[in-house]
Amino acid sequence: MTPLLEFDRLRKSFGERRLLDLDRLEIEAGHAYVVTGGNGSGKTTLLRILAGLESAEVQGLKFQGDSRVGADARQRVVYVHQHPYLFHTSVAGNIAYGLKARGVNGALRQRLVEDAIVWAGVGLLRRLPPNKLSGGEKQRVALARAKVLEPSLYLLDEPTANLDGEGRRQTIDLVQKLTREGVGVLIACHDREIIELPGVRLFHLESGKLMPLA
Amino acid sequence: MSLLDATREAFRLLFAGDPELWGIIFLSLRVSVFGLLLALLPGVVAGYLLAMWRFPGRRALVVTVQSLLAFPTVVVGLVLYMLLSRQGPFGFLGLLFTQQAMILGQAILTFPILAAYTLAAVQGADARAHETAVSLGAGPLRAALTTLNETRFAVLAGVINGFGRAISEVGCALMIGGNIAGFTRNITTAIALETSKGEFAQGIALGVVLVVLALGVNVAMAILQGEGGMK
Repeated sequence: MTPLLEFDRLRKSFGERRLLDLDRLEIEAGHAYVVTGGNGSGKTTLLRILAGLESAEVQGLKFQGDSRVGADARQRVVYVHQHPYLFHTSVAGNIAYGLKARGVNGALRQRLVEDAIVWAGVGLLRRLPPNKLSGGEKQRVALARAKVLEPSLYLLDEPTANLDGEGRRQTIDLVQKLTREGVGVLIACHDREIIELPGVRLFHLESGKLMPLA
Repeated sequence: MSLLDATREAFRLLFAGDPELWGIIFLSLRVSVFGLLLALLPGVVAGYLLAMWRFPGRRALVVTVQSLLAFPTVVVGLVLYMLLSRQGPFGFLGLLFTQQAMILGQAILTFPILAAYTLAAVQGADARAHETAVSLGAGPLRAALTTLNETRFAVLAGVINGFGRAISEVGCALMIGGNIAGFTRNITTAIALETSKGEFAQGIALGVVLVVLALGVNVAMAILQGEGGMK
């Protein structure tokens, strides 16, 4: 089966310091990958590089077997920030943002936004501005905003960091739902409950190298 | 006429709807608003690009824009006068001593304010705003408009401040407008002229309008800053 995303080598340096020096990696659809590693190990940088938000030396990069990783391929990858930024509009407006950017209009957009609102369980929040939301609610809205675009690959950066109680529980439930939907999910995190989700492939990032863990 | 009498006469002129006085006020507003509108797009675009783009010479451009904030209006007037006068390179346009020349002058004066406020707004914005827009599939234009929308209160503060500078400046309007009654005489040039003639009533009336406008601009800024702070 053709991997969703693959590269032969990925290197990233900041000045003299080599942060990442990764060998071949394949991310397959229908699997969740978790990358653990200490602070500053490069987990976030790796996700940002794969999202196209940061430059790096990448050899043999292919998306669904195609080495021409252009705007179309980029649109099938969505990065969700550790502390998601919500635009100064309503929850529904935030979820609709990516659809508008892709030119999806009218009734279809409205229906997709409604579906994503139901999926993330944020129906009661739909008209609220972002400053009225808790951290957990923001994370769920950010996941819905990504989900509505039906990406092939989700890059989730510490989705449960700084969350506790109900917010963390609900976010983990959404991550688990994603992992069951046949898409690729790459998560940088330390949350034991996410690491122990069924079918997760675990990697550890240390000294710039990515090592698979049993 | 005593100062008290002049003040009484000033308010009488204002409230009686003196056509000459109100003509000057509307001309001022028109010239300042058009000047601001002319500078709006280039100013905001320049500020945004200076904030977002890294290129050789960027630092020098930023310093230049910031220096232009304090550029004497009379010097802008002098340069424009030389460019637009009959002997100047643009003399053939016949713009000197016209409202169009005043609008151009006020656009030049407001441009650095709009650029500097936008630059500061976008530089001070949360970097995740632009990044989130891009990662959700926004192209450069949509991502730029989103970032500007997220910083709209700070950008609008620049617009208000730009209007404040345009409506209250005297040097440039006097030099390139020529203070022609009914044609290029605005609030500030009229105050200067009337005062020099010892006709305080109209000067005071126009001064009151200018102060009210300046206060209005500051109140609008304070409200915007409050709104922005609440987000």
